[in-house]
Amino acid sequence: MIPLLILSPLILLAALGAVWMARPVHAALLLALSLALNAVLYLVMGADFIGLVQFMVYVGAVAVLIVFSLLITRPGDEAEELRRRPGALLPGVACTLPVLAMVLFTVSKTAILETGNAPSISMESLGKTLFTSHAPAVLALAVLLTAVMIGAALLARGAHASGLPRSASCETKTADETGSEPPIS
Amino acid sequence: MTPLALLLTLSSALFTLGLFAVLTRRNAILVLVGIELMLNAANINFIAFWRYGPPDPELAGPVFVLFSIAIAAAEAAVGLAIILMVFRHTRSTDLNKLDSLHG
Repeated sequence: MIPLLILSPLILLAALGAVWMARPVHAALLLALSLALNAVLYLVMGADFIGLVQFMVYVGAVAVLIVFSLLITRPGDEAEELRRRPGALLPGVACTLPVLAMVLFTVSKTAILETGNAPSISMESLGKTLFTSHAPAVLALAVLLTAVMIGAALLARGAHASGLPRSASCETKTADETGSEPPIS
Repeated sequence: MTPLALLLTLSSALFTLGLFAVLTRRNAILVLVGIELMLNAANINFIAFWRYGPPDPELAGPVFVLFSIAIAAAEAAVGLAIILMVFRHTRSTDLNKLDSLHG
C-alpha cells in the first residue's frame, strides 16, 4: 500500500506535465517518465513480466518513436503557437470533468470484492496460458504486427516511393528536403 | 481507501488527463500522447483487478494487458507514420490547419 501511495501521485504529476507542457519535447519526455513509473507500479504489484514488457515497449519503443517524430516534424517558427486550441479549453474541461466525476462516483459507491492474497505470476504459467488457450489471438497479433510494420514503413517512405498520388505543392516543397529520408519505422 | 480503490482512482484520473489532451492539443503528435495515456489507464485497471480481485488461474488480466500493449505499440507506429505523411503534404502538424475537408 505504501509504494502505491508514493507512486500514484508521481505518475499523475508526470502525466499532468505531459498534458500541460507547452513544448512538445518536454511533453514527450514527461510521458516517457509517466510510462516508466507505470512500469515500476506493475513491478511493485507483482506483475514482473508485464512491468518489463511495459518498460521495453512503451519507454523503449513508443516514447522514442514519439520523440523522433517530434524532431522530424519540427514546426520551426510556429513552435510557440502550437500550444493548444484556444477555443477547446472550455469544451475539454466540460467533457472530461463529468467523466472523472462519473468514474469516481462509481468507484466510491461500488462494494468492491477485494481479496487479500497476492497472486504470483510465473513466466512459465503465463507462457502456457498464452500459447495454449490464447494461441489464436497470438497468431492474429503476429499478423497484425507484420501488417503494421509494412504499412508504417510504406507510409513513412513517402508518396514518391510508394506510388501514391501527390499534390503539386508537396512535390515542390519536399522533393529536396524530405525526399531522401530513410524510412522511420 | 483500499489499494484497489486507489488504483481505480489513479486510472480514472490518468484517463481524464489523456482525454483532455486529446480534446485540446493542437499538435497531432501530442494528441497521440494523450491516447497513450488513456490506453495506460485501461492497463492499470486490468492489473489492479487481477492483483486485488478474485483469484484467476487463467491470468486473464496480464494476458489482456500484453495484447493491449502490443496493439498500442502498433497503433502508435501507424499513427506516427500517418502524421509524418500529413506533415510532408502540409508542412505542419497543426490540427487546426488540416481543414481541407471543411465544407
